[in-house]
Amino acid sequence: MTDATHSTPVPRLSLQDRMIALLVRFFRAEWSGALLAIVILGLAIEVATTDTMFFRPSNLMTILNNSAAIGVVAGGMTLIILTAGIDLSVGSVMGLTAALTGYVASFWGFPPALAILTGLGIGLAVGAFNGTLVAYFGMPAFIVTLAGLSIWRGTGHLTTNAQATPKLPEAFDYFGRYNPFAGLRQAYRDGELTGIWENIGAFVDANWLNFFRTFQMSMLIFIAFFLVLSIVVANTRYGRYVYAIGSNEPGARQAGINTRRYTLMTYMFGSFAAAFGALLFLGRAPYAKSDYGQMWELDAIAAVVIGGTSLFGGRGSLWGTFMGVILLKLINNGLTLAQLNTFWQMVVTGGIILVAVGIDIVRQSRDPEAVRKLLATVGAFMAFLTLMTPASVWLRAKISLGEHAAAMALREAGDTLAPGHTARLMEPEAIQAAQLAAQSTLVGTLVLLVLTILAAVNIFRGARPMTLVLAAGFVVMIPVVALMGYQAATPFLVLGACALAASAFVFTLFERARSLSHD
Amino acid sequence: MNMKLTFAGAAIAALIAGTAAQAQDVIGYITKSATNAGWMMINQGAADAAAEEGVQLVSVGPSFQGDLSSQLEVFENLVAQGAKAIGVAPVDSSGIAPAVNDAMSAGIPIIAIDTGVSGADVTSFVATDNFAVAKEQGNAAAGLVEDGDAVIYVTGNQAQSTGQERRNGFMETFKAQRPKSEVIEVPTEWDSAQAQEGVEAILNSRDDIKMVVNAWDGGTMGAKAALENLGYGAGDVKLVGFDGASDAIVAMDEGWVHADTAQMLYQMGYQGIKAAAAAARGEDVNPRIDTGYFLVTPETSAEYKKMIGME
Repeated sequence: MTDATHSTPVPRLSLQDRMIALLVRFFRAEWSGALLAIVILGLAIEVATTDTMFFRPSNLMTILNNSAAIGVVAGGMTLIILTAGIDLSVGSVMGLTAALTGYVASFWGFPPALAILTGLGIGLAVGAFNGTLVAYFGMPAFIVTLAGLSIWRGTGHLTTNAQATPKLPEAFDYFGRYNPFAGLRQAYRDGELTGIWENIGAFVDANWLNFFRTFQMSMLIFIAFFLVLSIVVANTRYGRYVYAIGSNEPGARQAGINTRRYTLMTYMFGSFAAAFGALLFLGRAPYAKSDYGQMWELDAIAAVVIGGTSLFGGRGSLWGTFMGVILLKLINNGLTLAQLNTFWQMVVTGGIILVAVGIDIVRQSRDPEAVRKLLATVGAFMAFLTLMTPASVWLRAKISLGEHAAAMALREAGDTLAPGHTARLMEPEAIQAAQLAAQSTLVGTLVLLVLTILAAVNIFRGARPMTLVLAAGFVVMIPVVALMGYQAATPFLVLGACALAASAFVFTLFERARSLSHD
Repeated sequence: MNMKLTFAGAAIAALIAGTAAQAQDVIGYITKSATNAGWMMINQGAADAAAEEGVQLVSVGPSFQGDLSSQLEVFENLVAQGAKAIGVAPVDSSGIAPAVNDAMSAGIPIIAIDTGVSGADVTSFVATDNFAVAKEQGNAAAGLVEDGDAVIYVTGNQAQSTGQERRNGFMETFKAQRPKSEVIEVPTEWDSAQAQEGVEAILNSRDDIKMVVNAWDGGTMGAKAALENLGYGAGDVKLVGFDGASDAIVAMDEGWVHADTAQMLYQMGYQGIKAAAAAARGEDVNPRIDTGYFLVTPETSAEYKKMIGME
């Protein structure tokens, strides 16, 4: 990664230029889209949850702990996708190895170490099977692994009768819930420590709930796995070949790379990672069962793509996947803490994936116009959210009045009403309340509708003066909206104004950045 | 997917053709899951009833839990190939209705098992009244905490009537008896890993949680794993389950679970297929068969284990 700061001595740059250089450097990284989405979502959840703190070490570590298993699986998937392949079977392989590892440990009396080796061995064998079909028989990876999705899931159910095992031996905890500080804390509590160790023990005990309790093996293994893997990929021939095969397979073959062997190795690693992910999962799960890991292939692919890796291969990074996995788990964690309605969670999850990938596409285009449009869209979306604050009340009132009228019409036509219809009939007081709600929100809705339409037009034709006027309009609306009684909507307007103001200076920023890197 | 269904169709045809020679009545049984511990008990009941009645049971599950389209297709195959009666556990109450209507008008009795059909008549609906049992669960849970204690409720899929009824029933009685208690919800789609992660996240963000109530026992086991992950011991945070699955009963014996409203799962499958066989012979069948429930507590667990033949 080379950038402007290397070619020019740092002290000569003004603060502004240094900020620009930093910004450019940040957006050159593949993982910037995912990281930005994580920060934005984290801030939103922090604001939405009043009594529980989101940005708190123990909560962040919980997210990391729960990301570990799927994260390792996604790490293997990243390499496969980098070779322009795909592996739809990882979820099933994870379930198969989890079930069989638990099975041989529980019912065949295998010592834990042997059971673990068995699981990892099964993973490698499955990967060898999938990889051979793809690399040496020329079967499309999509088909082979789609078949594998079914075959390995079925095999897992068949071999274990789809029955859960009893609780696993404690050795499995070392892959998951084991806490390296737990022993120290226990020793301190028992008064067995002296000297400096006693001080350390006291510190751990005092900060147990808000920090050390969640410092668990899952998280450590997760981070270590990505560290080691990214070092391997960056520094070995294997890593370079993965990228080469993904960007131009015939070319790589002509250059003398044994593409078949490296493709086979990659699929073996992918299934091995799925088996390793199964171990990490078992370290936190109540028992082993063959229906673990359902839909994990989709989560893993989503994490890889959110992390900025191209589905066409040859471009992407492991750290992007790392961020992508965290983003997915953070959505679950944060939305649970925020106690958002389940159905909204589904919508929000999809929306965040679009945002992360949208940032990535704009980032890759290196086109100032695309960046301006993105920021202008953010502004328009914020105006829309502000609009919906009163408009949702208006819409709900209008819809319930409409449904009442439709149910009445049915009744007058002599139809028998289904229970769902009867529930939509309203008492006279309710009708009056709905009419009142619609009336009182009408003006606010109309004013904000105008603002939203202007912001939407601005996406497509945004000269700088007009954008700045619009941003000023947002600022003016802040007290107005607050006076109308929608204080909840003011953060949207602040964020929208910031995005719009920033969009006005995108071109200047790009020019400056270009001249900096030309120096 | 299509190919898989074609195979399933061919397999059904082969089974039906094979059994026609033995002149047994063929009863179709469309289950919701073949891998969920609770469903395996229902399926066992169904298989035993079929053996007792001397009918041929053709049982087919969806390719994954919640897959309506494959259930519909299997349904149509069974009708087309001359099943005498069909027991079905719909993954979607209203989604299955058109297929049920077609079969009923073709004179094939339909027995809904566990989950009702909305928008179509069935010959009989064999199930525990989820709402009523969930109210009992709310009662039992309220007895375990003080008013004002914060509790977690792990929900089932809120897009299904079973999940809605269990949640609403619990909330109704619990909130009536413990009005000052805060109930924090962990939404799931009947996935124990989701339950575990959600409970872990909440236990981490606050330390005043006294109890975790679950809409099904997969959630109970997930919540137990979450407690273990954070170093809690048995009984530090009380657990309340739903289903009476055997692993939750084991956890009760270890002191983790304090109450579990058991559905008579085995009875549901058993009585469902009994009713289907009777209807296939043209006998009258009670249109609503309630299979009841059993409140398992540490005091009654021995009795319950004897009842379901555990250990």
